[in-house]
Amino acid sequence: MSGSFVADSPQVSSFPTRDRGIGYWRNLDWLLLISAATLTFFGSVLVWSASRADLASESDPQSYLKRHLINIAIALVLGYLASRLNYRWLRAYTPVLYGASLVLLLMPFVPGLGTTIAGARAWISLPGGFTIQPSEFAKIAVILMIAALLSERRDVEEEPTSRDILWSIVAGAAPIAIILVQNDTGTVLVMGAIVLSLIAISGAPTKWVIGMIGGAVISIMLAIQLGLLKEYQVQRLTSFINPGDDLGSAAYNANQARIAIGGGGIQGYGLFAGPQTQGKFVPVNESDFIFTVVGEELGFVGAALLIVLLAIILWRAAMIAWRADDMYGRLVASGVLAWFAFQSFENIGMTLGIMPITGIPLPFVSAGGTSMMTTWIAIGLLQTVRLHAASDSRI
Amino acid sequence: MSRTATKPRVTPSSGKSGAGSGRRPSPLVLADPGKRGLALLLVTGVILTIFAGRLFEIQGIRGEALATAALDQRLRTTDLPALRGAILDSAGQPLAVTVEARNLTADQTLIKDAAAVGAQLAPLLGVDADVLATRLTGTKRFIYIAKGLTPQTWDRISELRLPGIMSESTSRRIYPAGEVGANVVGFVGADAAGLGGIEYAFQEQLAGVSGSQTSERNPRGRVIPTSSSNTIDAVPGQDVQLTIDRDIQYVAQNSIASLVRTSGAKSGTVVVMDPRTGDLLALATAPTFDANKPALSDDADRGNRILTDAFEPGSTSKLITLAAVVNEKAATPSTWIKVPGGLERGDKVFKDHTPHGTLNLTLTGVMAKSSNIGTILAAERIGKRKFARYLDKFGVGQLTGMGIPGENRGYVPPLENWSPTTFPTLAFGQGLSVNAVQATSVFATIANDGLKVQPRLVSGLIGADGTVTEPEVAPPTRVVSAEAAAQVRLMLEAVVGEGGTAQQAKIPGYRVAGKTGTAQVVDQVRGGYSREVIASFIGMAPADDPQLVVAVFVNEPQYGRYGGSLAGPIFKDVMTHALRAREIPPTGLKSPVMALTYKG
Repeated sequence: MSGSFVADSPQVSSFPTRDRGIGYWRNLDWLLLISAATLTFFGSVLVWSASRADLASESDPQSYLKRHLINIAIALVLGYLASRLNYRWLRAYTPVLYGASLVLLLMPFVPGLGTTIAGARAWISLPGGFTIQPSEFAKIAVILMIAALLSERRDVEEEPTSRDILWSIVAGAAPIAIILVQNDTGTVLVMGAIVLSLIAISGAPTKWVIGMIGGAVISIMLAIQLGLLKEYQVQRLTSFINPGDDLGSAAYNANQARIAIGGGGIQGYGLFAGPQTQGKFVPVNESDFIFTVVGEELGFVGAALLIVLLAIILWRAAMIAWRADDMYGRLVASGVLAWFAFQSFENIGMTLGIMPITGIPLPFVSAGGTSMMTTWIAIGLLQTVRLHAASDSRI
Repeated sequence: MSRTATKPRVTPSSGKSGAGSGRRPSPLVLADPGKRGLALLLVTGVILTIFAGRLFEIQGIRGEALATAALDQRLRTTDLPALRGAILDSAGQPLAVTVEARNLTADQTLIKDAAAVGAQLAPLLGVDADVLATRLTGTKRFIYIAKGLTPQTWDRISELRLPGIMSESTSRRIYPAGEVGANVVGFVGADAAGLGGIEYAFQEQLAGVSGSQTSERNPRGRVIPTSSSNTIDAVPGQDVQLTIDRDIQYVAQNSIASLVRTSGAKSGTVVVMDPRTGDLLALATAPTFDANKPALSDDADRGNRILTDAFEPGSTSKLITLAAVVNEKAATPSTWIKVPGGLERGDKVFKDHTPHGTLNLTLTGVMAKSSNIGTILAAERIGKRKFARYLDKFGVGQLTGMGIPGENRGYVPPLENWSPTTFPTLAFGQGLSVNAVQATSVFATIANDGLKVQPRLVSGLIGADGTVTEPEVAPPTRVVSAEAAAQVRLMLEAVVGEGGTAQQAKIPGYRVAGKTGTAQVVDQVRGGYSREVIASFIGMAPADDPQLVVAVFVNEPQYGRYGGSLAGPIFKDVMTHALRAREIPPTGLKSPVMALTYKG
């Protein structure tokens, strides 16, 4: 149930229902919505292209696409519901959501429930062949939780206290630890980026920000030095530096990705006609390496268009954060921005050979149900923040 | 952003008026959330720009090189094997053909229910369903389930649309006639290349030229659906048509095989030839082998000893000597020759095979009785030089020209090396060697009125488009005059007639001419002659208009010794059948009675 501003500003309660309906549609960030929808549609076409060749011998080559479209439908409904959330209610129940996400995050460890994909035990299997990835939901929970922690007691302008910052770090570290155990390095990096960005945006003292960056760097170094990371994880992280070296599958992936994208040239081979894509030379090109599909089949033109769409979404998220009328809303929007930005950079960067290879999807574009749903929930949250600010400003 | 002094309530100014709008005058402190946000946005912009640059580098600048690398990776060239030509008999009946076949393969990882798949395949393959199910279970990406299936069987399997069940195209060489003509046709090895006989001799023509298919394939080897491919078609091999008549070959082979069995001989050979064309209608030998299973036979039996073995012709060679004498007009068939019991030449006394006192034989009698001494005396009428020229003209010691690798050309000692005993020895067929086709060719020349025709085994190469190429044949050469040949044929008729050595070779209704031979075998170990012999009979019919020549050789028989009694009946069998098969009627004329002796 919505009506958050009713509680916020009782004096306008006389015309809530009518105005709320009109205000909702009028005040939506349409550019954001259209960009996200276009990118999602764009992604579906790429997923289709990448999966049809693989399934050509099966009874229904479109089965993968169909599942992807079902996921999108669910994601759009969830996004809409998120945009309708009562802002107050959301803030009040954040600890509950956070707790629930931690419980969900532990579920893959339950025998019979958990599924291991690509070495990461990060999935819960559902009947009907569907799986969900709790760490995706944890991203939202962490954003909401840290936003709540850092915006508390901040009705007056002041820096967050060290105490708040410490609690925020703890709130971020708990899911990160679990995800580390699940072996999902990519998501750990995304979460780390989210936590760091939230604390930085909240106005924390510079020493904290620098200290956290240093801490992150040192812990990554330590993890490699002490052998906490498995051999293949280190290889993945370092293969982008020397792609020519024979480093097994990671280098193979990086090299294949480069060959596929390079082959596309300026205009690409045309949809469904990229030989490296259709030949499945690049592994998981319907998911983590989906950028190779647009690169090869639609060329520089298509790839640049995709980046522009992402940039519009990031820009709109930044504007929403900028215009948020309270610290909570600003942090929620900033968290989403940091999430989308880092994940896009990492995903496209690894495909282009300028970032280490980690297994994370490209928001809106990659196949993957949970990722698609949480991405659209995040769009809903951005809209909520905007709607809240808009309704207030209109008063 | 934000935060005006108005304490408690959320402020309206946040909206559009934008960020840190003048609120704090000097605060370039990084801790300002607005500045931080700006920094984040800036970093984002920089990163996106880097991406665009990198993208342009990969796609715009290095695009072509990477596209080439990608193409190299996808292009796979596979051979398209050429269909091997068939080997046909003179009527076009197949002696060796290549049929398309399919090897059934499976990808175990794609098979979900091995038991069900096994049960569906079992009746088609004739294999137990459980055995198949076991074979289909596992994680191998490629296994063979069955080899050499007929295309029809594969069609029925592919209709089942079983995931993971695939096939590869292959071919199989089959010899529909089995043992018939196997020694001529030869056989192929595992790589389908000819290893013997015509298969080997005409390997290049039979094999054709394999083509290739270049297509873009994914890492699993499947053709990429939207890709292009380039195919160079294979040029199928040519069919080789033989002069061999499968039916005559079959009879000849059976006859000689049974004789080899009953006489305990080491081997035996039958050659059937059309003297007018040189076409070899049958080249039979025993023991032989089944071309479908060459590995089950001895090396010696897989070859074609008809061409690879040379031996002393013995008495059949007297034909050369006496034909030369007649052609030189040094004697006629009725010329009297007084044959003593022994004849001293050089340091040797020559004898006939049965001791006798002085005999009064006509030249015909010398032939009919196969007298060594009489033949020597006749030969001396023309002298050794002329005789040597006739050996040469009849083709002794020369390749037949059939072009079959491994042919033994035989041997004649060069004239300048002849000792005083060489001439008389050669005159009655010792001290020289021939192969079976050369020996047959001598008789064919007489049968063809003195005109020597090159024997041939291959009548044509038939291309895929039906064009026929005939192999080149040496032009016929005249060896003796037609009259001389006719006279010699009359003498040969006497061999089969009353008082001759080969009355077993008579064929009722037909006039038959021929000559027996019982040649001693050279002892390869000790030198000199061993006890073993090669018994032979070479003859023609109808004698007054010869259309067929049949030669029979029995190598080292243990029961029986003489050409007439051993080889004669086989000649009769094969010749009778061949005359019938070729629908050659008797001429209806009677053999003139030739005097074998004279009253002296």
